[in-house]
Amino acid sequence: MAATFLNHPWGLQGSCCIPSSRKFASSSLRFPSSSLSWHGHKVRGSSSFSDDPAAFISDAIISSHRHESPSESERESESTLILIRHGESLWNEKNLFTGCCDVPLTRKGVEEAIEAGKRISYIPIDIIFTSVLIRAKMTAMLSMTQHHQKKVPIIIHNESEQATAWTRIYSEKTTKQSIPVITAWQLNERMYGELQGLNKQETAERYGKEKVHEWRRSFDIPPPKGESLEMCSERAVAYFKDFIEPQLKSGRHVMVAAHGNSLRSIIMYLEKLTSQEVMNLELSTGVPLLYIYKEGKFISRGSPVGTTEVGVYAYTQGLADYRQQFDEMSH
Amino acid sequence: MAAEVYRHAIGTFQSHSYANNVNHKQRLRNNFVRLVNNDSVSSNVLSSRGARYSSCSNRRSVIRSSASQTSVADPVSLSPSRTPTTDTNKKSNEAALILIRHGESLWNEKNLFTGCVDVPLSKKGIDEAIEAGKRISSIPVDVIFTSALIRAQMTAMLAMTQHRRKKVPIIIHNESEQARQWSQVFSEDTKKQSIPVIASWQLNERMYGELQGLNKQETADRYGKEQVHEWRRSYDTPPPNGESLEMCAERAVAYFRDQIEPQLLSGKNVMIAAHGNSLRSIIMYLDKLTSQEVISLELSTGIPMLYIFKEGRFIRRGSPIGPQEAGVYAYTKRLALYRQKLDEMF
Repeated sequence: MAATFLNHPWGLQGSCCIPSSRKFASSSLRFPSSSLSWHGHKVRGSSSFSDDPAAFISDAIISSHRHESPSESERESESTLILIRHGESLWNEKNLFTGCCDVPLTRKGVEEAIEAGKRISYIPIDIIFTSVLIRAKMTAMLSMTQHHQKKVPIIIHNESEQATAWTRIYSEKTTKQSIPVITAWQLNERMYGELQGLNKQETAERYGKEKVHEWRRSFDIPPPKGESLEMCSERAVAYFKDFIEPQLKSGRHVMVAAHGNSLRSIIMYLEKLTSQEVMNLELSTGVPLLYIYKEGKFISRGSPVGTTEVGVYAYTQGLADYRQQFDEMSH
Repeated sequence: MAAEVYRHAIGTFQSHSYANNVNHKQRLRNNFVRLVNNDSVSSNVLSSRGARYSSCSNRRSVIRSSASQTSVADPVSLSPSRTPTTDTNKKSNEAALILIRHGESLWNEKNLFTGCVDVPLSKKGIDEAIEAGKRISSIPVDVIFTSALIRAQMTAMLAMTQHRRKKVPIIIHNESEQARQWSQVFSEDTKKQSIPVIASWQLNERMYGELQGLNKQETADRYGKEQVHEWRRSYDTPPPNGESLEMCAERAVAYFRDQIEPQLLSGKNVMIAAHGNSLRSIIMYLDKLTSQEVISLELSTGIPMLYIFKEGRFIRRGSPIGPQEAGVYAYTKRLALYRQKLDEMF
């Protein structure tokens, strides 16, 4: 049943390579060869640079961090967290239950991602986390095309030794100008089991309206072969605590591009919501949410203003200084 | 000359009603097909270094056919199978193959060697993908192959947002049993309206080894201009820890023959969204080029290339015209019918 799925990684394409959690002790780099795991190809030559992908990420971030101005590093105690829920997907448009089916964005979803990007174009980002689904990855990549800093997001591949070797960067300078992007199945949308691909009408007919309403709106009742919101929260929040929070603690600015339910789960943790409260929480699509992480606490700062909206920008002194750098650069 | 006969055939075609004269229709169709084949033979000759492979110089105007309706909605299973389809594709045994090279990436912009580093598209690359999509919006697509890199996947997904048929691309996940189960679709109707998307590292860009991430100036300084030129332009000399074009071709063409060609053989229309070197390798196979010829082959970014696969042969049909360009559409009768069906649907 769905419960047993939780202990197995969704292929290493998704799991983060930064070692620290007991959960990942069991996941190894060996797994069935599929075309996506880059198996079976003999690569000449050695590894260099860094054998440990985690070190690569840390190195990249630490060295990029050192290049920032003194006032920035003083403010290492404060870091930003941006949450973006992806916009409309092709099945949203058709009113089908999507869950973990890997459906891409519509034209509207593409525009929403770009709009979201404009709103966060002045907020620092050192590292990006997304789910393994294309709609979240595209949302992240599209939004970053609007960012004012010149760093380039690079997706980290660790599904196999070969994948890691083939995606290696051989220039320190370039690495410092990179923003690592880590894809993780734990940030996927809630898995909707046997409802995936059904339209809402079909489902009401097949199972009855109340049953469907219960699955969609309860906290702990999963649809057949699927996840409840509680199960989704468990793996999403665990991932957040194990892999994302340490980044924030060390002063790095993080962006998370994911889905309605995985983000709700994270917000439940950030804002200490009850299960009742989280069920009523609706996240707007394509509207980024900003949190400031400071001294171990998460402060909600709403949403950065849209580009045409009049408003005062600075959420914190640190962010105001960061933005000012860009304004000065263009003069 | 072929051109004159061609124009004559066009004139005759337009002045006859299709439904009334079966014999005449048959004769014209034979002429049409013969002209098409003649054209493709003459255009197979590759010219010298730097010859662009884009549509501009080679565009042929073709007749818009006004024929009776044909069913366009083919049953498609979510996982591509090798069993032949039972529709009109099988009768004509003809399938479309679209190749799209992704547009500008953020490292292209910065003039850095990219290779297999997973760098996304720039704003320009996004526009190029959408433009490419408009050009193929009326060409049937049953299954999509991309590389494992985001810039090719995004190109495919952005291009498909422009497609008129409204089928939904779904990325297939096979990296683990759980991934497969979690991404399962539970509605037959929905599966029929889906286009499976298969991501494979064998379609990745040529792996550039120790040059990945270096800028072109840096590299020339570090290794010397001639050495760099040799790596970039030779067929079988790889950069340190990297692939030569020959090595790239080996894994790309093997994949094409094992996984993609069977799809075409069973009548499925295929789109491949990939990279300069992996697509060159495939074209080398499709057009039977020599290693000298493939080295001088340049693929325009974001401009789709169309091939017709028929009776085991690949016929190059250049590039579908852009939406702003005047011209007549149909590359083959079957494609003309497909387009007409779309026109009637929407």
